[in-house]
Amino acid sequence: MGRLHAEEMVLNMGPQHPSTHGVLRLKLTTDGEIVSHIEPVIGYLHRSFEKHAENLEYQMITPFTGRCDYIAAMGSEHGYAMAVEKMMGIELPERVEYLRVIFAELQRIASHLVAVGTFGLDVGAITPFIYCFRERELILDLFEMASGARLLYNYIWIGGLAHDVPPGFVEKTYEFLDAFDEHVAEYNQILTGNKIFVERAADIGVMTPEVAINYGVTGPSLRASGVNIDIRRTEPYSIYDRFDFDVPLGQGLQGTIGDSWDRYYVRVLEMGESAKIIRQALDQLPVEGDVKSAIPRRIRPPKGEIYFRSENPRGELGYYIVSNGKNVPVRLKMRSPAFSNLSVINEIGQGWMISDVIAILGSLDIVLGEIDR
Amino acid sequence: MIQLLANWILSFDILSGMGISVAWGLSLFIVAALIFVFVAANAIVLVYIERKVSAFMQVRLGPMRVGKFGTLQTVADALKLLQKEDIIPRSADKVLFIIGPWVILVASVVTFAAIPFSDTLLAANMNIGLFYIVSISSIVVLGIVMAGWASNNKWSLYGAMRSAAQIISYEIPVGITLIAVVAVVGSLNLQTIIQEQAGTGNLFHWIPIPLPNWFIFHSPFLFVAAFVYLIGATAEINRTPFDIPESESELVAGFMTEFSGLRWALFFLSEYANATLVAFLVSIVFLGGWQSPFADYEGTQIGFSIITLVAIMWTLFVRAKTGRLSVYPLGLSLVITIAAWLFPGFAIWMASPGIFWMLMKAGGIIFMLMWFRWTFPRLRVDQLMYVSWKVILPLSLINLMGVAIWMWLTGEIQF
Repeated sequence: MGRLHAEEMVLNMGPQHPSTHGVLRLKLTTDGEIVSHIEPVIGYLHRSFEKHAENLEYQMITPFTGRCDYIAAMGSEHGYAMAVEKMMGIELPERVEYLRVIFAELQRIASHLVAVGTFGLDVGAITPFIYCFRERELILDLFEMASGARLLYNYIWIGGLAHDVPPGFVEKTYEFLDAFDEHVAEYNQILTGNKIFVERAADIGVMTPEVAINYGVTGPSLRASGVNIDIRRTEPYSIYDRFDFDVPLGQGLQGTIGDSWDRYYVRVLEMGESAKIIRQALDQLPVEGDVKSAIPRRIRPPKGEIYFRSENPRGELGYYIVSNGKNVPVRLKMRSPAFSNLSVINEIGQGWMISDVIAILGSLDIVLGEIDR
Repeated sequence: MIQLLANWILSFDILSGMGISVAWGLSLFIVAALIFVFVAANAIVLVYIERKVSAFMQVRLGPMRVGKFGTLQTVADALKLLQKEDIIPRSADKVLFIIGPWVILVASVVTFAAIPFSDTLLAANMNIGLFYIVSISSIVVLGIVMAGWASNNKWSLYGAMRSAAQIISYEIPVGITLIAVVAVVGSLNLQTIIQEQAGTGNLFHWIPIPLPNWFIFHSPFLFVAAFVYLIGATAEINRTPFDIPESESELVAGFMTEFSGLRWALFFLSEYANATLVAFLVSIVFLGGWQSPFADYEGTQIGFSIITLVAIMWTLFVRAKTGRLSVYPLGLSLVITIAAWLFPGFAIWMASPGIFWMLMKAGGIIFMLMWFRWTFPRLRVDQLMYVSWKVILPLSLINLMGVAIWMWLTGEIQF
């Protein structure tokens, strides 16, 4: 008998695969079940957002931003609107600011619910996913009340909001918040403390703070590594300095700091913090105020450029806008958090098994619409 | 049953001329067809139940449109699968691709030949019934490897390899656990195993709690063994949390990825046939098979009264803990209890052995398997192997030793 011929096998995961969270393609170099190299191949959802933006008037870009991170459209719209407002120096009515924070935080809860649920799905737990979507549905109902849409809202306009919230919205939001804590306890019961789940997530794909910072990882994934950076806290925008909330960090409760379980659990905790912020915002919400009063007639930011960043559910969402004083931007660059977060997959996913790579990918919580733009 | 059927066929004047061998062959064919019909109908019912159970666990309604409460949904699905185009990938190994699903199906259906549904209703009363079932059901892995290899798809290959490793690993602890029971009975005949569990006695023979003489209550070791077997068997039939060969979120559909239409339906059929087989085996080996849990009709009345008391306490507990009122378990047990006290005939029927008890026990086990599936995440390949070789296997060996020592201490066997 000759020598047994053995070589590594390249396994093509995606773009059509149940757990690549969209149309991501991963080229896995595998030795048996062990993955020795991961090469993400992106671009299957490229829609040329940035080039489009160079040919669209400022107010026309808003719906496009929502289509980038479609799981958290409110967050993208909020960031873009704030960037242009800052360029033009628009002062917003208080009511608009409060409503925007309420919507951004509701969106954060909705987005984290998807992240938590799909992470459970990735490790094989189907039921928590449905529970998460049950609550997300309630948030989408609130969004539908306000904007008429459930996924892509075009609600946060430059200088204000598309409409004021309808009567009954505040009460319904309170109702949702009252029930929400109990639901989070439900997730913890069925998933967080589950022995099999802990085995699958703890100590898997450990991301040290150095690695996280080197790759530009932001958001909950970075905080899970123990780095205390939350733009709402470190560089407060909008009215976030008025609220009392904690920034949950990964503590390695089940394993090492920065493992997949931490990335999952930080999101669970952040949902509670967002609920806290919404509650405070609802309490302080001014009754009077025209949400459209500050919307400018002509949106022509003065000549210059701006980089504005905000804390999206997935991390630091930055908009770099260059204006030459006309109603169309010269250049619009979106710093997408999921893109940077995905880039770390080879570093932390190497040497793990195929099942772990899926768990790690799930714990990074990527959205392909935003990566490909 | 085949002999009875053959005699019955020969008892007709017109048919008596065919001779014993032809009658025997005919009745063999009829019994085989009956078993296949049972497996197919069982799969259709179980798919519906599984979808409903999962829906209720997930705050959904499940199928509701086809038929009343969606009862005809799986029939419609089966019809749809029959109509689908039969796709064989161009680069697949055609022969193995076609044989694979059939090997799996045949291996899982044939095992039902030895399952005693009641004291008379069984196809073949083999004196090596248990051994037959364990050995035949392990042929399934061959079909899975065939299907996975023949698909010429990397995902299928991964699924097949995982499955082969998993089923072979778990067969050992499962076999040893069953040997512990065989050591108690001294027979591999499933009817003998069931008959040994007749009547009622004390828990572990000396704790004065009257319980049926089932092997799960025989000794602390067999009590553990029942759970070891259930875990091992769950892994052997590739169900969550051990469903890594077809893990949907990792391997797309594992070894089934390239299959469609009827061939895919065969996998589905055998999956549910295997689940049913495991449920039957657990109830035969540990839960007394077709024996009634009640000794006589007074036992039924008292037993159900106790069950009702437990149901009342459970309902109050749930009410206090979650604020929800779940009336169905209480209502059901109350109705049965009242019926048992009012109608002695009903109580006597409940106390008599039969297919009803067999199906009830198997149904309970199947419900547990579904419960596992819709609550647990999935283990990783190496964790699965860890559980098999380092936890379950030592446990089953200790059980075997423990049962032997227990029997020697209690004087059931003498040296």
